[in-house]
Amino acid sequence: MPAREGTYGLLAEFDTPGDLVRAARKARQDGWRRLDCYTPYPVEEAAEAIGFHRNRVPLLTLIGGLMGCAAMFSMETWISVLAYPLNIAGRPTYSWPAFIVPAYEWTILFAGLSAAFGMLALNGLPSLYHPLFNAPNFRDGATTDKFFLCLEALDPKFDLRETKAYLESFQPVSVVEVEY
Amino acid sequence: MAHETHAKTLPAELSAPSFVDGWKLRALVVGVIFSLIAAVLAFLDGSIEHVLRAWVLGLMMAFGFAVGGLAMLMVQYCTGGKWGLLIRRPLEAMSRTLPLVFVYWLVVAFEMKRLFLWAQVNDVAAALKSGLINEVQAHAIAFKRPMLNPATFVWVSLLCFAIWALYTWRLNVLGLKRDSDSPANTPRWIKKLENISGPGIVVYTLTMTAAVIYWVMSMDPTWYSSVYGLLFLVGQGYMVLAFAILVSLSLSKAEPFKTILRQTEQHDLGKFMFAFVMLNIYLGFAQFLIIWSGNLPEEIPWYLDRIRGHWGIIITLDFIFHWLIPFALLLSRDIKRNKKRLVRVCQWMIFAKAFDLFWLIEPNFKDAARNLHFSWGILEYVAVPVAMVSFWVAYFCMQLKTRPVVQTNDPHVAEILEPEHAHA
Repeated sequence: MPAREGTYGLLAEFDTPGDLVRAARKARQDGWRRLDCYTPYPVEEAAEAIGFHRNRVPLLTLIGGLMGCAAMFSMETWISVLAYPLNIAGRPTYSWPAFIVPAYEWTILFAGLSAAFGMLALNGLPSLYHPLFNAPNFRDGATTDKFFLCLEALDPKFDLRETKAYLESFQPVSVVEVEY
Repeated sequence: MAHETHAKTLPAELSAPSFVDGWKLRALVVGVIFSLIAAVLAFLDGSIEHVLRAWVLGLMMAFGFAVGGLAMLMVQYCTGGKWGLLIRRPLEAMSRTLPLVFVYWLVVAFEMKRLFLWAQVNDVAAALKSGLINEVQAHAIAFKRPMLNPATFVWVSLLCFAIWALYTWRLNVLGLKRDSDSPANTPRWIKKLENISGPGIVVYTLTMTAAVIYWVMSMDPTWYSSVYGLLFLVGQGYMVLAFAILVSLSLSKAEPFKTILRQTEQHDLGKFMFAFVMLNIYLGFAQFLIIWSGNLPEEIPWYLDRIRGHWGIIITLDFIFHWLIPFALLLSRDIKRNKKRLVRVCQWMIFAKAFDLFWLIEPNFKDAARNLHFSWGILEYVAVPVAMVSFWVAYFCMQLKTRPVVQTNDPHVAEILEPEHAHA
């Protein structure tokens, strides 16, 4: 992707999560779609307010878990029945009760890894650069005690002057323009 | 922008809604109908053998709800948490049904000889000669005589009942007293109930282990498993949570639960129940795996009795019913947050617990071990427990009506009245 230039968006700063959520909800109602909230800790309403949608991490976790289970169980079956059939205390070579524990462990392991890496793959992390860090108040406050709403320039409704006035109607602490 | 308060207020009327009487009536009707069915089945079968076996199943269900409810009550006093406030009064009502469980148990005590081989056999040598018992059973019965004899059975059970009654009485009295006290004393009350409940859980674990060993495990005098008490303990958590969630979700159709039942706590309770589904199969499978690996002649016949002769079908269904289905359903966040669906899962889990007990109880008997077959008697396993549990539910509804269903003198009340996520 070529480097973008110009305005990334307008960033409004709030002191409380409640104010952020109310602003975000209103913006979403007014038709904004390219917008995002930034909070120092998870605020579920903020996600709901901007149209939180389901992601595929649960599905990836399920598939990963099932694959781990199937892989381990088949490996044990292959080892015990075909590759190295051993007579252990006269038990049948296909002794499935003994296979359950490792298969279970692999289910957990693969589900966990799929969740972690699936999450990273789907949310685009780790990301080396994000334009919002150009805003000094974002750098200082986003991980401590400030709550931000960003209306992005990619939204067709975006207009530098009108959007700034629109954001100011929510009475934020400040509204700043963020460059790419 | 000023912070607005969105907190709801607790309704003035906190007693159980009137439809609880409807539940009671329905439970009584079902109880009577199934009692009649049980009587007809006993007539068709020509014996009351199966009535008594199924009676043990019904006893273990009622016992699980009542005394398991007491245990869960103690657990939530120790852990705290808003979920505990939601099910506290239903759990108290469950624990107060202990007298009915005692009545159910009396039947088992009086009919001990028909249920327990060790009670039936007085003279081991003569019984061995007559072919009533085999050599393994003779050895086990003779060796375990100091523990497995009618007097010890009765005294240990009575002692257990006395201890449970003491805890039930104490916690129920204090629970009501706490509400009439001033809020300034709340921290003291919390500590006090915690101090009673903590040791109570330990005492409960020991007494209930003794009870299930006598009432269920000793039906097969040859077998033993050190995880048996824990298996029942976890099983009780499984069915008690299912029932308590069922009650609070059903109560939420009207005030006051309509106000205090939030999706967040419902979700928490669902997750808690999910943990018990996992723990239950974990212990059940661990016991099987250890005994299967050891493959010792003292232990393995217990499983063979329950696998061979078509019992394999039942154990497979048991695995599907009481682990796979609840596990798969409770994995879903949506189902845990949906009242209607969570109610269905809870109902299913209660059925699955009874099904599991059927698999545990019936193969203890000579005619059924390694030989699953149809008789009119086996249908008693449906009729008798349904009737017994229905009467128990009616009694529970009566108890639920006796006091307000929400504890007011608790800091969690204020929290539970806040909107779902306190931040917004």
